[in-house]
Amino acid sequence: MKSPSEVAFSVLQRGLLSGAALLVPSCDRDEWRREWLAELWHVRRSCISIDETFSLDSQREITGFCLGEFPDALCVRNLSDRTSAPPAHMHGSAAQTLLWLFVILLLCLLVTSLLPGVQAENEAARFQIDRNVLLISEAAASRTKPSIPADLYRGWKKTPQRFFDNLAFYRVRRETADSGSARICWNVARATANLFPTLGLPLTHTAETGSDLSSIVLSHEAWMRSFGGDPRIAGRILRIGNASVRIAGVAPAGAWQLPGSPDVWLLEPDAQIATEVSAKTPGYLFAQLSARGQAARTSPGITISARDPENIDIDLSGTPLTEPVEGPWNLYEFALFLAFIALPAVSSVSLGETHLTSHRPSFKQSLRRFLFLGAKFALIAGIALFASFDLAYWYTPNYSPVAECVQLISCFLVCLTGFRWALADQRHRCPVCLRRVTNPATVGLASRTFLGWNGTEMICMGGHTLLHVPALPTSWFSDQRWLYLDSSWQFLFADTGIY
Amino acid sequence: MLAMAAEAKLSHTAAMILQAISAGYVYGFSIMEMTGLPSGTVYPAMRRLERDDLIRSQWERQSIADAEQRPPRKYYKLTADGRATLEASRKRYPLLDRLISTEEASSR
Repeated sequence: MKSPSEVAFSVLQRGLLSGAALLVPSCDRDEWRREWLAELWHVRRSCISIDETFSLDSQREITGFCLGEFPDALCVRNLSDRTSAPPAHMHGSAAQTLLWLFVILLLCLLVTSLLPGVQAENEAARFQIDRNVLLISEAAASRTKPSIPADLYRGWKKTPQRFFDNLAFYRVRRETADSGSARICWNVARATANLFPTLGLPLTHTAETGSDLSSIVLSHEAWMRSFGGDPRIAGRILRIGNASVRIAGVAPAGAWQLPGSPDVWLLEPDAQIATEVSAKTPGYLFAQLSARGQAARTSPGITISARDPENIDIDLSGTPLTEPVEGPWNLYEFALFLAFIALPAVSSVSLGETHLTSHRPSFKQSLRRFLFLGAKFALIAGIALFASFDLAYWYTPNYSPVAECVQLISCFLVCLTGFRWALADQRHRCPVCLRRVTNPATVGLASRTFLGWNGTEMICMGGHTLLHVPALPTSWFSDQRWLYLDSSWQFLFADTGIY
Repeated sequence: MLAMAAEAKLSHTAAMILQAISAGYVYGFSIMEMTGLPSGTVYPAMRRLERDDLIRSQWERQSIADAEQRPPRKYYKLTADGRATLEASRKRYPLLDRLISTEEASSR
């Protein structure tokens, strides 16, 4: 029966062995552990007395022996590092290049998934204001300024309309909202309840209604800015001015085009607008064209002759609100197309296929070479997509035309430079093993050569090929040329099978 | 050529270990006991000697260990290069023979 102290020491010694074993490379670990276990068995046998009574000195000696496992493990590790294949084996290989591109792609994708602006752009492209909805404004006034008096809206609402099916109205006022934890100054648009159905914009993150409180709709920007994009925001009660209101949902990012830059829309019934809003309060009027109105419309915008409540003739204009939002995918496809078009202007698309000898790479080698080039192009195209999102929406969580523009330009530039690099990289890759040729050596001097060759020679470290790149392209040597080395060269190279 | 190169690099500790193995102390723990060196010195030194092809290791046969009811041990022996290097080291460290005499070991 072992004493507790003896068991404790035994556990400690085993623990030291296991800990040190972790330092040993896995391929050598089993044998290393086996040797030390055997040695430990003999050390114990030698140190512990025959009657097996516990001795602190013996245990200390055994533990001291075990501590030697660590320097030995480190030594085995160092020797293994030196004897294993040198890192140069992988350096410049096709697999390494694709791996790096893939890692960059994943990083860009990760950043994109964290940026809310990308989702906002998707939403803006998906939910757009109905193209049959017109913003009615005074012909002489700017459409971004409120110009329609509330009384005109009330008058139109009461009379049957031939050309319009629905009318919606709002006016914007700066008000303070209290969310319980903070006071926020918002542009509050007091709007008719039918505003969003008239515009054809469905609300997102909605909650069941059924409360007596007035409903408000948050703009996408205010939702992101003031509530951090909380998806469970609907149903929360706030105070705007002196009244309590309930958040009914969030307007889609496509509502960015609505004039007055409202942060929230406070939806009020028509009766309230009829009684509480003074007749001359200017606001924004939206009209949805009826079937007859659509048929009568000959151009995107229309002009309307009307009479104001005081029976004075006024000229109004109706302009559609829909400004085309291309959406991220359309922009990406366009940038990709532009990059392919511009590529021949910034780089030679030749891959340097001229050969100095009659040797030609096999079909399999050629196929692999083109698959590698295709994989590089595909990965660069993916990187361009996500990197352009990251650049465009790094600073803004909302959709904006500026961000769209940044996305288009950055996507185009990343594609163009990336494709250019891919072609240049491909030209310096051995057609046999796809590894980059190295050890550039300058051959000849242009000033001392007459009708001779001068340029740079590079060699494949696998011993497959020699690349000649002319310093000055001439009529007899304009492109780089590959010289295939025969098997007599192989003994000079350690790495022959590198991919 | 190799022996001369190894001789130039061989430390006194490594020479002692080679001498111990030559004297018949062919296990790590027995070399420790003979040389008085700690385990953290002896085992790494033996790894390096093995890397330089001065010694060679071999696992004891399982049947022998089973017969004696103990785990099999890894034992070491000198290679031809190791013997040449040891000879050269004895000239460099004349006391090596006195520290671990081959006769003493052979009588064990």
